[in-house]
Amino acid sequence: MSPLTTAAPGAPVVDLDLADLRRDPYPAYAELRRTAPLAWVPSVGRHLLTRYEDIVQAEKLPEVFSSLEEGSLLLRTVGPNMLREDDPNHRRLRSAAEPPTRPRQVRDLWAASFERTAHEVLERIAGRGEADLIADFAEPLVAANLALVLGLRTASAEDIADWSRAMMAGNSNYADDPDVWLRAERATRAIEGAVAEVAEAARREPDGSVISSMVHADGPVELAEIQNNVKVIIGGGVNEPRDVFGVGAWALLNRPGVLDRVLKDPASWKRVFEETARWVSPIGMYPRQLTQEYEIAGVTLPAGSRVALVIASGNRDEAVFERADEFDIDRPHRPHLAFGGGPHFCMGAWVARHEVSAIAWPLVFSRLKGLRLAEGATASDSDSAAGRMDGWVFRGLTSLNVTWQAA
Amino acid sequence: MPTVIFQLPDGTERKVTAASGTALMQAAVSNGVPGIVAECGGNASCATCHVYVDAAQSGLAGPPNDVEDEMLDFTAAERRPTSRLSCQIHLSDALDGLVVHVPEEQV
Ligand code: FES
Repeated sequence: MSPLTTAAPGAPVVDLDLADLRRDPYPAYAELRRTAPLAWVPSVGRHLLTRYEDIVQAEKLPEVFSSLEEGSLLLRTVGPNMLREDDPNHRRLRSAAEPPTRPRQVRDLWAASFERTAHEVLERIAGRGEADLIADFAEPLVAANLALVLGLRTASAEDIADWSRAMMAGNSNYADDPDVWLRAERATRAIEGAVAEVAEAARREPDGSVISSMVHADGPVELAEIQNNVKVIIGGGVNEPRDVFGVGAWALLNRPGVLDRVLKDPASWKRVFEETARWVSPIGMYPRQLTQEYEIAGVTLPAGSRVALVIASGNRDEAVFERADEFDIDRPHRPHLAFGGGPHFCMGAWVARHEVSAIAWPLVFSRLKGLRLAEGATASDSDSAAGRMDGWVFRGLTSLNVTWQAA
Repeated sequence: MPTVIFQLPDGTERKVTAASGTALMQAAVSNGVPGIVAECGGNASCATCHVYVDAAQSGLAGPPNDVEDEMLDFTAAERRPTSRLSCQIHLSDALDGLVVHVPEEQV
């Protein structure tokens, strides 16, 4: 079914400026949920689906809301991959790649190294008394962890972070900037080379990593499939945990009372993690393409319609989360949508939860005495409009400048 | 068609009838049984479809499989000897009358 690049008959058309969306998408989402929960947005070339219940419904129907979207930016950036496949092919690739990211593996195989790396990265800055916790801590940490889990022994944390940034930019290049495409292409070439090398070694000597697991999968997986899926994992695997770390740390530094309680009750880091992912979802939306005619949110979408499931909006839906714009670790529990749902449920969820809520936050907040936001970095009127968060396809803090008493 | 009973944390119960072969999770979700979140849609990767099989019937549903056993260490509510992932239990006539308890928390 070829993609339709026009509005479904009867769908409201809403003009949204991409620059506004990047700055702060939440007011626009609130308006859409109220007035046009399924709206064609010309600048995005898709229908935006913005209410929680509708998104959940779509996620439960992968045979209608297909991940096989033609002409998607992600396909253009990395080539065919499991995020843009449906079962059974998606399942074949996911089963091959998934074992090293399952929670017991994270605990038994990776946690000790994650912890060592976190200490090392923090030691580099501890004596300085000031840092940007995104660039100087979170990004190098999660990139190093990702290299480890993937099995990319020849790549540095810096390589991983650079590649990730370049591909992420491609994947949200709605403005079609040729420089962005060029950078993305350079990154994907480099990854292909690195994966080919490591896959060869893993064939002889399995090491429990994702690449090794794919090489030794029951069903055969081609090298190109391993390469493309590693690209996708590098794309998401850096920014998501990095952004949850940053946004959560920022939320707590702006709320000393809450931070105090969390420090006294370390079990609550888990709640901080889930609430942060709900409040500012690192992935804001993902695309789907309809395999058949289907009615949702009052509009009948023809087969081929392009839809964006705006999980960032679902996670702020007042019908589900009271005072949804507020960061509140005590809110009555309702499952958030930040990890997606159904067969594509985030493969990195357990890795991210562990490295951020069990290791990175507790370490930073216990090791850096008197940690606080640097001058000028405190929240202004509204957290998400404070100018330090950016993006709507992916969203997080661009920097988090802090100071502490360097001993 | 087998019928199963979900005991909810608030003390109420839901009876659900579904075709043999249906995953218990699926039966719960299609019938709107609250508390079965099932984020991963049945792929044993989220641990949010956790249930406790009634102690008197633990033999009926059998033990968890390997992957499931691993996930059960990471459920939000405590793991008990009768813990199962409802997406890994498939209904059959032998399971007619199965009673499962839905935990307070899934995530
Ligand atoms: S539905 Fe996710 S583990 Fe059962």
